[in-house]
Amino acid sequence: MNNPAIRIQNLTKDFSVGIRGVKLRAVDNLCLEVGDNEIFGLLGPNGSGKSTTIKIILGLLEASTGTCEIYGKPSKQVDARRSVGFLPEAPYFYRYLTGRELVRYYARICMVPRAQIGDAVDSVIELVGMTEAADRRVATYSKGMLQRIGLAQSLVHDPQLVMLDEPTAGVDPLGSAAIADIVRELKRRGKTVLLSSHLLAQIEGLCDRVAILHRGKLVREGRVADLVEEKDAESLVVEGLSAEGRAAVQAAIEAQGARLARVEKPRLSLDAYFLKEVHQRESEHAANNDSEGSN
Amino acid sequence: MSILDSFTRIRLIAGTTFLEAVRQKFFNSLLIISIALVGSSTFFQQFDFGTGELKFITDFGFGALFFFGSILSITATTQLFFYEMENRTALTMLAKPVYKLEFLAGKFLGAHLLMLSFTFVITLVLSAILYWRDTALVARLGDEVILDGPLVRYGDVFLFGFLQWMKFGILAAMTLFVASFSNTNLYTIIVSFFLLIICQLQYIARDAYSGMEAGWERFLVLGLGLIFPNFQLFNIGDQLVFDVDQALPLSTVLQLVGYGVIYTVAFLLLAQVNFRRREI
Amino acid sequence: MSLLQHPLTLRLRRILFVLLILSLLGLLTRPLEGPAWRVVKSGQPEMNLEAIEGALGQGLVVGVLGGFRAILADFLWIRTNTIWERRDRVKMDAMVRLVTTLDPRPEFFWINGSRMIAYDVPNWRIREEGGYSEVPEARQRAIDLEQSHQAFDLLDEALEFHPDRAKLYLEKGQIYLNRLKDDANAAKWFLQASKQADAPYYAARIYAELLRKQGKNAEAYTYLKDLHRELPNVPYAQKGIILERIRELENTLEIPFWERFQAVVEPVLEAPRKAPAFDVPEPHDHAGHSH
Ligand SMILES: Nc1ncnc2c1ncn2[C@@H]1O[C@H](COP(=O)(O)OP(=O)(O)O)[C@@H](O)[C@H]1O
Ligand SMILES: [Mg+2]
Repeated sequence: MNNPAIRIQNLTKDFSVGIRGVKLRAVDNLCLEVGDNEIFGLLGPNGSGKSTTIKIILGLLEASTGTCEIYGKPSKQVDARRSVGFLPEAPYFYRYLTGRELVRYYARICMVPRAQIGDAVDSVIELVGMTEAADRRVATYSKGMLQRIGLAQSLVHDPQLVMLDEPTAGVDPLGSAAIADIVRELKRRGKTVLLSSHLLAQIEGLCDRVAILHRGKLVREGRVADLVEEKDAESLVVEGLSAEGRAAVQAAIEAQGARLARVEKPRLSLDAYFLKEVHQRESEHAANNDSEGSN
Repeated sequence: MSILDSFTRIRLIAGTTFLEAVRQKFFNSLLIISIALVGSSTFFQQFDFGTGELKFITDFGFGALFFFGSILSITATTQLFFYEMENRTALTMLAKPVYKLEFLAGKFLGAHLLMLSFTFVITLVLSAILYWRDTALVARLGDEVILDGPLVRYGDVFLFGFLQWMKFGILAAMTLFVASFSNTNLYTIIVSFFLLIICQLQYIARDAYSGMEAGWERFLVLGLGLIFPNFQLFNIGDQLVFDVDQALPLSTVLQLVGYGVIYTVAFLLLAQVNFRRREI
Repeated sequence: MSLLQHPLTLRLRRILFVLLILSLLGLLTRPLEGPAWRVVKSGQPEMNLEAIEGALGQGLVVGVLGGFRAILADFLWIRTNTIWERRDRVKMDAMVRLVTTLDPRPEFFWINGSRMIAYDVPNWRIREEGGYSEVPEARQRAIDLEQSHQAFDLLDEALEFHPDRAKLYLEKGQIYLNRLKDDANAAKWFLQASKQADAPYYAARIYAELLRKQGKNAEAYTYLKDLHRELPNVPYAQKGIILERIRELENTLEIPFWERFQAVVEPVLEAPRKAPAFDVPEPHDHAGHSH
């Protein structure tokens, strides 16, 4: 495809507030491009205009000025949304339907051919790991399950572009990791994913490229590595080194004409630590169950 | 996108809307009204009105249908619309390849389906009560009444229900139009009731028009009559059911149906004009 | 911000747009609305709004105008009944007036109202004055006359709304006949009743009977002969009874045999669904009350 998945040019969105029509600028002269088969992160604090940008891309809001296209089609056209999946921020669905009925309903709305609906529904439910809970009513779902079933409904018609607004907000690290896995799987299948978050750490390792918004303005945009790497520094992680050893290493470094900038203890992120612990418990639990079973 | 796909989507949205209405227990009102109707009919028996009793039952049944139907039409439409807005299920829906007009039409049809069930059940209950009293009266009064021809024309009961349903359609579309530019539930309900009262009473101004002198008042009255649909047109309960020699002519029925359909579609399109601009 | 782009201006423009569209729609639907409205309106006679407003207050008048006219009339009729039970004749009179002004369409209100006034109120008044045995005949007669004429006024008003309803003419005839024992006037109203399209067959027969009672045998004879010729051959027309009367009259009048009425005897047709064939006038269950 020649056209980028999303092209935003000079996008500005003003909300008029109150009857006197005071303008509130939610997005300010934003230019962005998201390439095909890319995982793109839209980062920024609350109220920085992420959701507004996504809604304009989806044609749910009209831009005040500027243009916005999905694979070359203007967002205003309903047709542009044909191959787009969307998970809204804090999704909420018809509570009296079961998860499966809900996904099925949206599949039919998206005109998935009748013969394929059953398979399509089963496979997305499988993908988001909701097979067990699929026949329970949505009203009984936890926050994380709602997020997953929301993801399922956004994927059921096999869209080329998937937009996830704060998919990990309010979800525990385990759930976040699962969602990250699904996003990677989508990329593997050749899809384009745009996701937004105010929790930068959670999507740091996930995105190919990110844009950082602040008060509606684009602050930075680029590859994650390019943005955060200290270009001319490297770190060595060493185990079992004595004090003398350290002095020797430092001397060797200086002999090379370099400089030892700092010495620190390597730390796991708390998320990573949590995940490691939980995985360990889980496998122990499973092992115990197995041995009990064999008794 | 073919027009058939459009209809499929509208049907799907109408279906969920209707289910939602059922789930929100709008139908409980039916039970209460039905019980009240049966209750009132037993109440009339104590007066021994003779065959006049049937007139009383019909008047109260039609009155209940008109009164509670109008309330239900406005509140249910408002509630079903704002339910989607407030829970942002509309957001999920409209992010799909769905036209806003399809969404509105689906919401409207769902609410209209609710009104159809409501109207049908009430007319059915009313007919059953009438039939019960009719047979009881004939048994008691004997030949005296039988020979006068059938006491009740049951077809007319349903005709009245059908025409009321047409009117509820205009009302629901009008409510959606109000909802399309308003931000709250309560505001929509109040404005819609206000419009209902104007539409119900505009004929008075219209009738006074011919007797007025030229001037801005006359212009105002003319405008009032033109702008608001005339709901009094559907108030034909008194001409039906009993008056054997003056059945409502078919041409009038067709005119009323045409009138109802035109206004319903018009208000839906006007709602769409607002809704297209609406920030969801 | 230019004035044209001010949100209030934009809003105003939208409102004007909607009003314009709706006005056009109003014009467009006139060909549908006009004729339908004429039909509907013909079934909704004008009301004397001032009279109603005085009695009901403005709030209820809006309800009446908005489409709850019949229901409100029904409510008030039920109240009329409780007043009737309390025998408060002044209030009852006012209520009957109010109900019939509010909804003159059902003859039910007119007929039952007139029965209360013509039959029940005289009873109450005579009882108030000491009972039938105490009150002198002349006084009783005066009360009857006064009440009957009030009922006639009510029925005359009803006839303005329903000039072709036989039931209303019959009601007047019945009052003359049963309460005032005035055969001549009763005959007049039974004749009127018999001329209406929805008249029961018995109206004409009673008219002829009343002529006989007044001794107008020749007139009755001619009338019955014409009647017999005009009536269809259906059981409810009771042509047999009419022929019997004709024969009786021929005997009384001593008509020569060769001049006597020659009835064409035809087979009787199957029962029509037109009107009942009572020989006896309806019993008056006043306002539907069993006493
Ligand atoms: N419908 C609206 N009307 C008025 N202001 C809005 C509306 N939607 C969002 N805003 C404002 O626009 C700004 C950006 O909001 P949003 O895009 O939701 O931020 P984010 O998703 O980054 O948290 C906020 O200041 C918010 O208050
Ligand atoms: Mg947001």
